Amino acid sequence: MMTKAQYIESLRKLNLNLWMFGKKVENPVDDPVIRPSLNSFAATYELAEDPQYEDLMTATSHITGKKINRFTHMHQSTDDLIKKVKMQRLLGQKTAACFQRCVGMDAMNAVFSATYETDEACGTKYHENFVKFLTRVQDGDLAVDGAMTDVKGDRSLSPSQQADPDLFLHVVERTADGVYVTGAKAHQTGFINSHEVLVMPTISMRPGDEDYAISFAVPTDSEGITLIYGRQSCDTRKIEEYNDIDVGNKVYGGHEVLVIFDHVFVPNDRIFLNGEVKFAGMIVERFAGYHRQSYGGCKVGVGDVLIGATALAGDMAGSAKASHVKDKLIEMTHLNETLYCCGIACSSQGSKTKAGNYLIDLLLANVCKQNVTRFPYEIARLAQDLAGGAMVTLPSEADFRTPELHDYIDKYFKGVASVPTEDRMRILRLIENMTMGTAAVGYLPESMHGAGSPQAQRIMIARQSNLEMKKELAKKIARIN
Amino acid sequence: MLACCVKFCGGCNPRYDRGEAYRQIRDALDGIASFSLPQDGGKYDVLLILRGCTGCPYLYEEISAVRRFTVHSREEADAVPAAIRSLAAEQQDS
Repeated sequence: MMTKAQYIESLRKLNLNLWMFGKKVENPVDDPVIRPSLNSFAATYELAEDPQYEDLMTATSHITGKKINRFTHMHQSTDDLIKKVKMQRLLGQKTAACFQRCVGMDAMNAVFSATYETDEACGTKYHENFVKFLTRVQDGDLAVDGAMTDVKGDRSLSPSQQADPDLFLHVVERTADGVYVTGAKAHQTGFINSHEVLVMPTISMRPGDEDYAISFAVPTDSEGITLIYGRQSCDTRKIEEYNDIDVGNKVYGGHEVLVIFDHVFVPNDRIFLNGEVKFAGMIVERFAGYHRQSYGGCKVGVGDVLIGATALAGDMAGSAKASHVKDKLIEMTHLNETLYCCGIACSSQGSKTKAGNYLIDLLLANVCKQNVTRFPYEIARLAQDLAGGAMVTLPSEADFRTPELHDYIDKYFKGVASVPTEDRMRILRLIENMTMGTAAVGYLPESMHGAGSPQAQRIMIARQSNLEMKKELAKKIARIN
Repeated sequence: MLACCVKFCGGCNPRYDRGEAYRQIRDALDGIASFSLPQDGGKYDVLLILRGCTGCPYLYEEISAVRRFTVHSREEADAVPAAIRSLAAEQQDS
């Protein structure tokens, strides 16, 4: 496995075509806006080196028998699925941010089983291609971005019906050695911190959509790939002169980019689906299922930090003993642990795929994610309730460091006498960061839309709900023949 | 000197600082027990399992040890040095 230091050095070798704030970014690794997201990703390497966490962070490769990072593992049991959720909670606790590596793990597990079943039905060799790719990822401990979401254009039209054919990524040229693809993938979490991108179709496909039913992997710095950095609220606080207190979370963060593929070459042995429209939906459904499970771990870990910060804000303000404060902290915990229950439940009810890896219970995974679209918002609302208005009216760190103002701020923003004002400012800024600032991107809208927006889960819940059986149960009890 | 092996659970939601508990146990048993992480094929007098909570089911049966101590809380961790000391005394007597 790679160490954290080796991982960071490996990213320096990438030649990404990345743009941010209208300029090309020559050195993403040391860029102050991007670096916190790298630190979060690097935590997936750092914790795997620590004996205190190796039981969750590492696994044994079913291909080579070697010890590997769990983020590159094909789940071999329901126990592995449970450990995945626990690992994600742990990383959420350590970073209070999106650590980005889940999407690749979920994509790889989905494509692993879907290629097997595609080959079985179509006589193709995609699974062999994929296992070769996976072995390289496991041996090299590579970071993989899972790219599903197309920009989609007119949502009422299928990929092949769009006015602009590039609004869904598609094959534009076929040669004996491979294919060329054009299109874009939106909201790509962790792409800049990844060595490889694993591309999947974004929706189920129909005959006529063959060029869009494409899955493959290429290096993230492949010729023809352009990245445009997604900005986050309060992001430029990271490049102000005083950039410690006001950022809330100095070390960790997340990022998303728009990834543009402009005539990118994909060699044949890196293709995992190529025109078999019937199997596009299988990849989508399985990836979404795994990723909806993931949110029952990562967001819970981030929630743990937010609950802790809120409790500290109460301690620092002298309000910790008020009954409504205690009750709101209980409610936050109840909501957070309910999400964890869902993550563990869909894992424990997982089952073996034909390819041999384990898939979560899809109904329970979708219920998990549906709750994730709501509960973090309520947890954040309660955090803001208990934090009080100072969370958003505090003077800047620059003011706090100004001699003429420091003593006024120190005096008038003090809560409990024994707690330094600066500590109180730090906790309030952390709550601001997680509920309104850069980390809110990961904790709130990502909870809403990541792994599919709420309606996508409701469609899956409807499909899996077994309503006819429930009607029969009611008829029997009501004695209706 | 007792050969002790320490195994941490993954640490997803620990109720106490497992690392700190381990350091205190190790320091309290200085000269009585030597501690290491599990090695393939290793045989130990004691396996010390430091779990962060009661929800972790793993027994690590693949690790060979004469005695196993499983800790779920700070209080249980505090009782470990005395238990290992008595084990060392028993071993010396025999």
